[in-house]
Amino acid sequence: MNKLQIDIGSTYFKTNANGEINQHFRNFDVAIYDDLHNKCADLLANYSKEEVHICSSANGGLSTLIIGITSLFSLKYATNIAFNSGINIIDTILYSTIDKAVAPKEVIDVVIVVGGIDGVESKFDEKLINYLKNVNYQNIVYVGNKADTVFLKKQLKNLVVLPNIIGDKLQVQEEELKEYLTNLYQSDIEGKEEIKKLYEITSNQIYSTPYIVNNALPKLGTLFDVADPFLVIDVGGATTDIHYSTDLVENKNIMTSSGYDRLVFKKLGVFKSRESLVFGAKNNEFVYELLDYLGVNEHILDEHSEQATTTLMQLAIFLVLYQVSKSHNDYVTLKLEILNSIVLTGGISKVLTDEEIDKIMRFFYKKILNFTQTPNVITDRNYEIWTLGIEEIHHAN
Amino acid sequence: MRVVTGVVGNDIHVVANRLIEISLKERGFEVFNLGVNTYLEEFIDAVIETDADVLLISSLNGEAEGWSRDLLFLKSRFDLDGVLFAIGGNLSVGEATSEEIVPKYKAYGYDLVFHQVDLNTGIDTIEEVLKERA
Repeated sequence: MNKLQIDIGSTYFKTNANGEINQHFRNFDVAIYDDLHNKCADLLANYSKEEVHICSSANGGLSTLIIGITSLFSLKYATNIAFNSGINIIDTILYSTIDKAVAPKEVIDVVIVVGGIDGVESKFDEKLINYLKNVNYQNIVYVGNKADTVFLKKQLKNLVVLPNIIGDKLQVQEEELKEYLTNLYQSDIEGKEEIKKLYEITSNQIYSTPYIVNNALPKLGTLFDVADPFLVIDVGGATTDIHYSTDLVENKNIMTSSGYDRLVFKKLGVFKSRESLVFGAKNNEFVYELLDYLGVNEHILDEHSEQATTTLMQLAIFLVLYQVSKSHNDYVTLKLEILNSIVLTGGISKVLTDEEIDKIMRFFYKKILNFTQTPNVITDRNYEIWTLGIEEIHHAN
Repeated sequence: MRVVTGVVGNDIHVVANRLIEISLKERGFEVFNLGVNTYLEEFIDAVIETDADVLLISSLNGEAEGWSRDLLFLKSRFDLDGVLFAIGGNLSVGEATSEEIVPKYKAYGYDLVFHQVDLNTGIDTIEEVLKERA
C-alpha cells in the first residue's frame, strides 16, 4: 500500500515515503502546516488522506506537577508513569515540605496527587488545598489512598479520581494513570491549532512521537542486532529522550509491564536547547578533559560551525550517560556496566560518524566507569525505530 | 499490625529475610517485605506509605552499621512517632557482645536491637512492646 509517514519534531520534519526517508529543517517563522506544504507539496500531492500517517512531538509536551508523600514510592512511581506516557516536563513536591514550596508561575497542564496504600489513614489535609489555591492548573488527578478521596473530592473541583498507583504490596499499578495521561497528551496534540490543521492532509489519528517510539522497543531486535539490556538515546533539537530496559535500573522498586522505561532530559538538545546544553557541559567536571580528548578547546562551545554541532552532540551523549550513571545522583541510576547495546537515534544519527560516536563512548567508559570495553553501539541512521513504531500502531488499529 | 521489613544495604541474605516474613505472617502481621539490598531511605518511605507500626530491619555481619548512621536524620524528616524501630541479625563486624552492640544501635535511633538473638525471641519481644504501647 502507498504510504507516507511524517514526524513533526521541534527542529525537523521527517518524511518516509514508501521507504525513502528525508528530513527538512523547520522554518519557525511560519506555521507547521504551511512549512510542510512549502517543503513537501509535491510529495503530499501523491498521497490521499488515508495514506498519510503523522506523529508529533512539536506541541512542547504537557507540564506536570506531582505532589506525593514520599520520594521513593509516590513521587517515583508517578514520575515513572508520567515519563512513560510521553510527558516531558515534570516537577515534584514532597508533601512534607509543601508549606515551603513555591507555586509554579506558569500554567500546569495536569497536577497529580498521590500517597499511601489503600487502607491507611488520611495523608492529605488543608495544606494541600491551600497550596493548590496558588497553582494555575488545567487538570487534576488523584491516584492515592482511598481514605482521602472523599475529602479531596469535596475540596477540589474537577478532581479526577483513578485507582491507587501504589498497590497493596507497595508495587506500582500504572495502567489507569498511564491511560489517562496518554489520552490527555493526545488531546493536547489534537487541540493545538497548528497540529489540528494537519488533519487536512490525514484522516488517521495523529500520535505523540514518544508513544510511537515506546511501541517500537519490544521489536527493536527485528531491526538491529541489539541485545538486552539496551538503551536508546534520542538526541533531538529541544530535548533528549532515553528509553531503557528496566533490568538496568539500580535499586529497582518498580516493575512496569512493558519492561522499558523512558526518561527525558528537557534542557538537553542541540538546537532549541543549545544554550542549556552548553551550560550543562561547562558545569561538568570532566568537560575540559573531554574537549581536550576530542582535540578542541572550550571556545568551540560558543561557535556555530559544523564542528561545534558535532562536539555538542558528542557532549550530549556524554552528559546523558553521566547523568544516569552512579557518578550522578538523579531520579534514576542505571547499571551501565551491564549494558549490552546502545542505540542512537534522532538528529544525532544524521550528523555523527561511527568513529565520532566510538570516541565519546570510549572516553565515557574509561573515564567514568574505568572500563576498556564499550557496549555495542548501533546508529539508527534511517529513523527505522520511528517507522517501525508508527507501523506497529497502525497494524494494531 | 503492619510491619515493613527487609535487609539493609548491600546485603543479599535472602533466606533470613524470607524466614522473617513467614514468621511475621504466621503471627498475624501484615508484612511489607522490601527484600534484600534495600536502602534505609526506602524503608522509611515504605513506613510512611503504609502507616506501618513496626520497621524491622535485618542484617548480617555488620553491614547495617554504616547504613544506620543516617537513621536519626531520616526519622527527623517525617512524623514517625509511634513507629517501633527494630533491627536484628549479626550486627557486628567480627566478634562483639550485645553489651557493646545494643547501646550503639540504640544511639542510631532503634528502639529494639537483637544482636545474635533467635528470631522467635525477637518477635516475642516486639509483640510485648506493641502490647505495652497499645
